[in-house]
Amino acid sequence: MDRRNFLKISAVGSATVALDACGKPEHQLIHFIPEEELIPGVAEWKPGVCTQCPAGCGLHVRVMEGEAEVTRHGQLGLLNMGLAKKLEGNPGHPVNQGRLCAWGQAGLQVTYNPDRIRFPLKRSGPRGSGEYQEITWEEAIKELVSHLSSLKSPGKPLPLAFLTGPLYDHRSVLIEHFLEALGASPAVRYEFFEQTVLCRANELSFGHHQLPTFDLANANYVISFGADFLGTWNSPVAQNLGYGTMRQGRPGHRGKFVQVEARMSQTGANADEWVYAKPGTEGLLALGVAHVILSEKLRIAEAAGEAGACIDGWSKGLPDHTPEAVAKMTGVEAGRIQRLAREMAAHTPAVAIIGGAPLAQTNGLANALAANALNGLLGSVEKPGGIFFTPQPPMPGLTDPKKGLSVRALAEGIRSGSAPVEALLIYNANPVFGSPTAWRLQEALGKVSFIASFGSFVDETSILSDLILPDHSYLESWVDNIPQSGTTEAVASLAPPAMSPLHHTRSTPDVLLDVAHQLGGNVGKALPWKTYQDMLQAAFDSLRSHPGSVSAKASDDFWSEVQEKGGWWSAEITKSPARRGAKSSAAPAKVAEPQFDGSPQEYPFNFLPYASLQFGDGRHANLPWMQEMPDTISTAMWSVWLEINPETADRLGIKQGDLLEVASQHGKLQAPALIAPGIAPDVVAMPVGQGHESYGRYASQRGANPIKILAAQTEPETGALAWASTRVKITRVGKKGQLILFAGGLREWPREYRHR
Amino acid sequence: MEHRWGMVIDEDRCTGCEACVAACHAENNIATVGDDQAARGRAMHWIRVERYYEGNFPDIKVKFRPVPCQECSDAPCEPVCPTYASYHNPEGLNAQIYNRCIGTRYCANACPYLVRFFNFLNPVWDKPLNLQFNPDVSVRSVGIMEKCTFCIQRIKTAEIKAQAEKRPLKEGEFNPACVQSCPAEAMVFGDLNDPKSKVSRLSRSSRATKLLPELGTHPKVTYLKRDTWDNGQNA
Amino acid sequence: MDKTPEQINQDLLRPLYHASWRFYVALVILGSLVAAAFFAWGYQIYNGIGVSGLDRPVFWAFYITNFVFWIGISHAGTLISAILRVSNATWRRPVTRCAEAITVFALSISAMFPLIHLGRPWLFFWLIPYPSERGIWPQFRSPLLWDFFAINTYLIGSVTFLLLPSFPDFALIRDRASGWRKKVYGIASLGWRGTPKQWHRLEMAMRIMAVAIIPVAVSVHTIVSWDFAMAPVPGWHSTIFGPYFVAGAIFSGIAALIIAMAMLRKLLHLEEYLKPIHFDYLGKLLLVMSLLWFYFVFAERLTTWYGNFPSEMAVFWVTQSGRFSKLFWTMIFCNFIIPVPILAIKNLRTKIGWTVVASIPVIVGMWLERFLIIVPSLSHKYLPYNFGTYRPSWVEITITIGTFAGMALLYLLFSRVFPIISIWELKLGLQKKVEAAPALASQEPATEQP
Repeated sequence: MDRRNFLKISAVGSATVALDACGKPEHQLIHFIPEEELIPGVAEWKPGVCTQCPAGCGLHVRVMEGEAEVTRHGQLGLLNMGLAKKLEGNPGHPVNQGRLCAWGQAGLQVTYNPDRIRFPLKRSGPRGSGEYQEITWEEAIKELVSHLSSLKSPGKPLPLAFLTGPLYDHRSVLIEHFLEALGASPAVRYEFFEQTVLCRANELSFGHHQLPTFDLANANYVISFGADFLGTWNSPVAQNLGYGTMRQGRPGHRGKFVQVEARMSQTGANADEWVYAKPGTEGLLALGVAHVILSEKLRIAEAAGEAGACIDGWSKGLPDHTPEAVAKMTGVEAGRIQRLAREMAAHTPAVAIIGGAPLAQTNGLANALAANALNGLLGSVEKPGGIFFTPQPPMPGLTDPKKGLSVRALAEGIRSGSAPVEALLIYNANPVFGSPTAWRLQEALGKVSFIASFGSFVDETSILSDLILPDHSYLESWVDNIPQSGTTEAVASLAPPAMSPLHHTRSTPDVLLDVAHQLGGNVGKALPWKTYQDMLQAAFDSLRSHPGSVSAKASDDFWSEVQEKGGWWSAEITKSPARRGAKSSAAPAKVAEPQFDGSPQEYPFNFLPYASLQFGDGRHANLPWMQEMPDTISTAMWSVWLEINPETADRLGIKQGDLLEVASQHGKLQAPALIAPGIAPDVVAMPVGQGHESYGRYASQRGANPIKILAAQTEPETGALAWASTRVKITRVGKKGQLILFAGGLREWPREYRHR
Repeated sequence: MEHRWGMVIDEDRCTGCEACVAACHAENNIATVGDDQAARGRAMHWIRVERYYEGNFPDIKVKFRPVPCQECSDAPCEPVCPTYASYHNPEGLNAQIYNRCIGTRYCANACPYLVRFFNFLNPVWDKPLNLQFNPDVSVRSVGIMEKCTFCIQRIKTAEIKAQAEKRPLKEGEFNPACVQSCPAEAMVFGDLNDPKSKVSRLSRSSRATKLLPELGTHPKVTYLKRDTWDNGQNA
Repeated sequence: MDKTPEQINQDLLRPLYHASWRFYVALVILGSLVAAAFFAWGYQIYNGIGVSGLDRPVFWAFYITNFVFWIGISHAGTLISAILRVSNATWRRPVTRCAEAITVFALSISAMFPLIHLGRPWLFFWLIPYPSERGIWPQFRSPLLWDFFAINTYLIGSVTFLLLPSFPDFALIRDRASGWRKKVYGIASLGWRGTPKQWHRLEMAMRIMAVAIIPVAVSVHTIVSWDFAMAPVPGWHSTIFGPYFVAGAIFSGIAALIIAMAMLRKLLHLEEYLKPIHFDYLGKLLLVMSLLWFYFVFAERLTTWYGNFPSEMAVFWVTQSGRFSKLFWTMIFCNFIIPVPILAIKNLRTKIGWTVVASIPVIVGMWLERFLIIVPSLSHKYLPYNFGTYRPSWVEITITIGTFAGMALLYLLFSRVFPIISIWELKLGLQKKVEAAPALASQEPATEQP
């Protein structure tokens, strides 16, 4: 160590000692001059946009004055500033109408998370060690610019990959322009619970490559094939709102809800009728129901239109899908299939929902097409009580994102050398956690010479980065969102920052703009805005001429009012033009039986990972409220578990809490057993979200990650991961695992049938 | 006339999403106890969603029931507290006066609904999570009993505002955090002394029931039983 | 051969002057255990109740078990002594001070537990009804407040009941001693000179106290039982609790008394004062209490089972055949199955060793009984979602062991400060025996075989 550092350290050291000697360290912190004028104790409500899931609900953020420990100009001190205290739904927002789900409420813990990255970081140890040193923003951006400008590959796409999640906003547009101008391939968009299969099915059946919206409030019959639409799937708050109205919001009318799945989910628990169907056979069941409707002449085949034409044999009345044949394949009795069909046809509006595990099978697309055809048959397409597609707001900049590589293809390309990547930028994605080991992603990333991350946390993916340029949390950012589902209105949500940044972070869109300007040339021209705020203002200005929720006409007034309201929406725009991509083939689909990885003899159980109520796909595992919130069905906290049927458990000598080893052909993990009366005897299920190797103090080294042992099996047409198609075997490890339950008893009347 | 605050929870609307649980934690500065303490049964969820199974696979049924403090009119937790920390306020709420609590935990034993939670240790918030604290709610320390208050801070704020503006409280002017957040609109809150309020009307529903009515606690939370579907013949 | 008064003095005052090495060893061991208990308590005050095993829903466990257990033990002392005085049972004379000492110490120990179990013990004084600056009195409707008054009344009463008959003995020591003992016992004896007027006053006071202390003792344990019975907890809210607890208290108290007397007899060489006949009579009382206890338990369980209330049955089955069944059947074994046959057989009951063998399980069994009243009920209240478990931590175990050590320690120290048998009453008995019918002779320390 040189003399300068020695002096620095000893100076700090002695100062610390002196401070400690003087009493509590807080008293020694200086007070910075407040940057805002706030009256203590008086709350200000500011608009916001929730980014905890893709639904994009509108927020009202309660901001009050408080004292925060912050670093300004390299000095730690106290600053009185506006702090977000509570998040509520924005009552005017069409998607959530004033309501907010648990993840939305927990968003405060993203901003205030103790593990947030506070400064730009540069790797100082070996890659993956988590050793970083703090640098300035000037240094960070300079480094990023220098790496990007050094990339050259004449005639070929730039060896730059931008890895992000599905974004439906102007960040996506910005990134697209950025990459295009650089000559790089489109962004790799990845999330584990991707919607590729469903969007493709909707494109084929209805002409909309988009997530569906359901008008549950007006429905009289809802049949859901595996979709956890009241919990974690699609737009949960909007769906819950519609569901509530369907149940008790229309005096004299109560809709029926049927759930078809192999494991009782939190959504399924609310069903009037819960139907067990063998995993992957849900599409066959839908066709069985359609067959009955057609054969009993309750509807005609043509009523299903394009959606029906997608199914092989539709016009002939689906001769291969008699109730008896379908009963054999699905495990649902023929009589029940007939009854459901008759009920559905007699109690319109009736709508079918499909999502989750049924789509994550090798026959996932066909399953979705079958459910879509059923909707067509029931006449629920774009009719009240049925299935809709959220219109796009008329913003010219909003083009459909170009299709980039899948993460799997990216990894293969890097490993094989066919599509080398020299620089990787990561934003809002954690595929190292969220991808099966079989994809060998981490191995591929080892070959990338420069990795930069924009995330707020050091997670499994960003821990591999050489440079970290931490983003603000969403409450500290300009946020916009174009909901893809959850409303029949065209919506463009918008919110300015609700509070000043706590730490030395910078908004990633602003950073990209800065980088673009420094790179100059095409890139600079493609992104002419100085800040993201400017870009948004320009984009939203284009809505001024359309009738909608904002009445102001002048540009500045319009901009203020949009911000005040939390966005722009319009019920006048009810349809978007059909967004069609290329069709794969004209041939109608056959719903094949699902293919599973692993033989039934060696691997006797269907392995069902599912989005957990607490963590989703794992992204919320670093929020202590979510770790401690008891999962509704299991009541487990701070844990991971394997759900197993009680009879199966008895047969295998497994008791609650026993640590089990779960092995697929591709890996193994350990998790404690949870006796679950609602799961089929040959299925085991595990929530996704725990098992982080690094993701902060609350999430790291806790439990196991079911994604790791999945087979890399895909749905053939879309290439989407068939994450419900892996089979596993189970053995007892011989000791208890960590299973922390909030509840004691399982049943309300435990001894009810004791003597009979 | 005094207000008498009550709640109606519709089990037919509740989907078990637990938005209420998260909202309550955020609003009331409730401590997160951590995995070790949660394993020892010290987690504090002022409102919880109870879940009960019925039947066996595949004819399996699951029931969800959110349980906040029932704010009993004849609360068994009130007479047993030696220091009047558990106290019946004029608006019918069972108020918990943190400053008076010396932690005998008798009230928690007396409560048949087990809605009372004790601070077994001093709560800890890793900074800067503490910046999220709601300034309208005290932060409790070790040895003190706490529970759902129907967000009394919101009640008081609204009453003070209405008084300052010299007008009566409007229905729906404010709600406890759980009621406000519930995506399925399963919870309704209001003045039971106003026969026209939504909460009064719904508590007279044919589906209305109370939890443990035989104990004579007269809770002010009314549950609307889950309804049935009989080939479309029902309300 | 009857003992002379001087011989009695020597025998019964010897422990005050001489201690064997065994005394010091016991002092060190017991002292360490007590110190450990205080350390554990201090640790708990500093960190919070969370260092114990308590949780939701089992908010009361070991500490309240100990609280009720020790109050139970405290019953035999004063109650037996008072009842025996009132009924003029002459065999009581060597027994009374042992018994009264048990009461005072057990009660003091038990009175610590409301402090130990408080979440914020530094505010315990809010239980005292004084005009506070907060403008509020304690809530008199709370059974815990009734506890406060009842226990304090009983404590004051028992201390009085112990001290009153001690003055003549203190005076005796004062008169025979020199140096610091003369001074200390001089103050303690409050100027007792043995005048007829003083004797008369003492006798009046004893008579009043003996009669008054009986309802106080009954009320104390009834009130303690109402800590449970007044709460709507399945298994607690039963009208039987008052009498059940009083019976159980006397039961455990007599067992403790038998054990204490047997140990004193051995260690202080009081074989000629504490004779088999005393153990025989106490043994008979213990037998009656065991049968009475069993009757209460049986009656309660039969009614519960027949009534079939779901919430009560959940608690019933968990003790009968579920998680707590091992402890439950151990309790039945200790409280009934072992003592009754032993105590019913005269040949066994008249041997001191056997009565002790019958008494020790009762102490274990009665501790278990308190535990089994509290924890299974709290773990299984009305809504099954909230069923829970309990496991004691080292803090509760250390404190519990510390109380037993503390009891022994206090008793040990007591025996060095007080003559363990009331000398003047013994002499009075001898005098009366000379005047009384020969039939009573067998009850006095004399020539009869042990």
